Amino acid sequence: MKPSAFTRAALLVYGIAILAFLYLPLVSVGFASVSKGRYLSFPIRRYATGWYGEAMASDTVRDLLFVSLKVAGIVTVLSVVIGFFGALAFARYNWRFRKTYQKLILLPIFFPQTVLGLALLMWFNAIGVIPSWKTAIIAHMVWIAPIATLIISIRAYSFDPALEEAARDMGAGTWTTLREVTIPLLMPGIVSAGLFAFLLSWGNFPLSLFTTGADSTLPEWLYAKMVSGYSPLVPTVGILTVAASATLLAVGLTVPWVLKLVKRKTAA
Amino acid sequence: MSDTTPILRINALTKTFNEFTALHAIDLKVHDGEFLAIVGPSGSGKTTLIRLLVGMDEPSDGSIWLRDQRIDEMPANKRPTCMVFQSLALFPHMTVGQNIEFPLKLRKVAPEDRKARALELLDLLRLPQDYYSKRIDQCSGGERQRVALARALAFDPEILFFDEPLSALDYRLRKALEKELKDLHARTGKTFIYITHSLEEAMVMSDRIAIMRAGRFEQIAPAEEIYARPVSRFVAEFMGEVNLFPIRAGQAEGVTLSPAAASAFGGATGTLMVRPESLQFLEGEEHAELTFAGRIEAEYMLGSRVQYTVTLEGGQTLIAEVLRENAMPGGPGTPVRLGCAAAACHLIAEA
Repeated sequence: MKPSAFTRAALLVYGIAILAFLYLPLVSVGFASVSKGRYLSFPIRRYATGWYGEAMASDTVRDLLFVSLKVAGIVTVLSVVIGFFGALAFARYNWRFRKTYQKLILLPIFFPQTVLGLALLMWFNAIGVIPSWKTAIIAHMVWIAPIATLIISIRAYSFDPALEEAARDMGAGTWTTLREVTIPLLMPGIVSAGLFAFLLSWGNFPLSLFTTGADSTLPEWLYAKMVSGYSPLVPTVGILTVAASATLLAVGLTVPWVLKLVKRKTAA
Repeated sequence: MSDTTPILRINALTKTFNEFTALHAIDLKVHDGEFLAIVGPSGSGKTTLIRLLVGMDEPSDGSIWLRDQRIDEMPANKRPTCMVFQSLALFPHMTVGQNIEFPLKLRKVAPEDRKARALELLDLLRLPQDYYSKRIDQCSGGERQRVALARALAFDPEILFFDEPLSALDYRLRKALEKELKDLHARTGKTFIYITHSLEEAMVMSDRIAIMRAGRFEQIAPAEEIYARPVSRFVAEFMGEVNLFPIRAGQAEGVTLSPAAASAFGGATGTLMVRPESLQFLEGEEHAELTFAGRIEAEYMLGSRVQYTVTLEGGQTLIAEVLRENAMPGGPGTPVRLGCAAAACHLIAEA
């Protein structure tokens, strides 16, 4: 059925409104980062890009970046490893209480993160662990590893177990089957889980707030500076954070495609 | 094919799943170079059997021998056998060439030798050589079938197992591939063990057919023998349309036996089997050793043959199939007499 002119116009307006709702706040942060004035007001009278240079040169920003990258990087690796084996355990083997265990594992995704953060903080205190970026890794893992497991599981459930059986039938041992068949077939799920894990940890505020102790991640610093000590450096760092996420996302989506292309050309 | 040295021997093989017994202490011998089809309805245990043979599952009891070597305790990846799966199980992330080379790569064969063998197998399976670098999702159903076969042959197994690999294909392609498989068997001289629920497939391709029912072999024999002389009612019915008449003390209800036929079945008790194509319409006072009288109930055109459903005077239903040129004019309602020779019938003795 061909939509009428009115329907087409309504869909266009609806689409633009949704995009504006999603991206306008981010655009305004972008404007704030290039405004010469201390606070953002429209129309912007004078533009300046100096805050970007200051952000790049700042030791504080570099330290924050390092902590955030360290936490997100380690959380990504650990979540993907746990998620990979967890997904295989759920999708490939039938064991007692599997479904109950599966639900319990995924439950933390639905907990309010502030409650989860508070609970972890209290637990760290109870066992005498001083909160730092290391405890933040544990906190992020509690929330992100189930998400990674869920993402890889979706892929694991959708591929034919006969493929692994065929590899074994032709002489492949457990490790060879994993390397030659299972991992390549689960790779889209592994890449997606890795991207999600990194981005969720990179941008996480509630769990970090409760569990980083004296250390600080970029989102925490942004919040602290919004509360007191605001300058256009805050939106500048915010925009750089978003740009880093977007770059990672673009790389993550492009690399597997490029690798596939190269592999195909090599095979030919 | 040698009659004396079986390549595969199964002794009292049993498989149980909790309370359910899928295989009941079955025995089987397969000869070197033989094409054996294992046929049975769903749930008869044929897939369980093949999974035990290739090592995907462990038997609960019994043993499997490959020549003089016991293999049932050997892991799947150490067995010198290979299987073409029902889903074909072609690796979607690999090209056609990489799929075929997979077993050779595992054996650390040099890349140039692998490629040469893959191209050779493409030729054997009548696939163009430029398919070597094609993606699996670019191949049609029949081409995938050939790639799966090429991969299995690259493994160079002692026995090649097939788990209903043609079941997902359309009729015409299936028919073409049945003949190709038979031809491939003849060209390679390998031992093929083929699982199917399609009797037609089994009859076209195999040297012997093993009929399975509820975890046991009901009959193992060449197709011709199973078709003409089934050992049970189940096998008779499984092997295609058939007319079965209970026979008690040499007398079968609904059938008029000539004195010669009566003495042939003298006092027998069991089931008399008459295949539809053994029957002929009788004209006038013509008689046969076995005669059936009734009315045509329905008539079906089967291409070169015509099938009739006839209601006999005693109320039983008889199915007869004749060549088109011998078709009975008149159609449904026409009174008819049909007959066949006693030698064309088979008496299934009561167990």
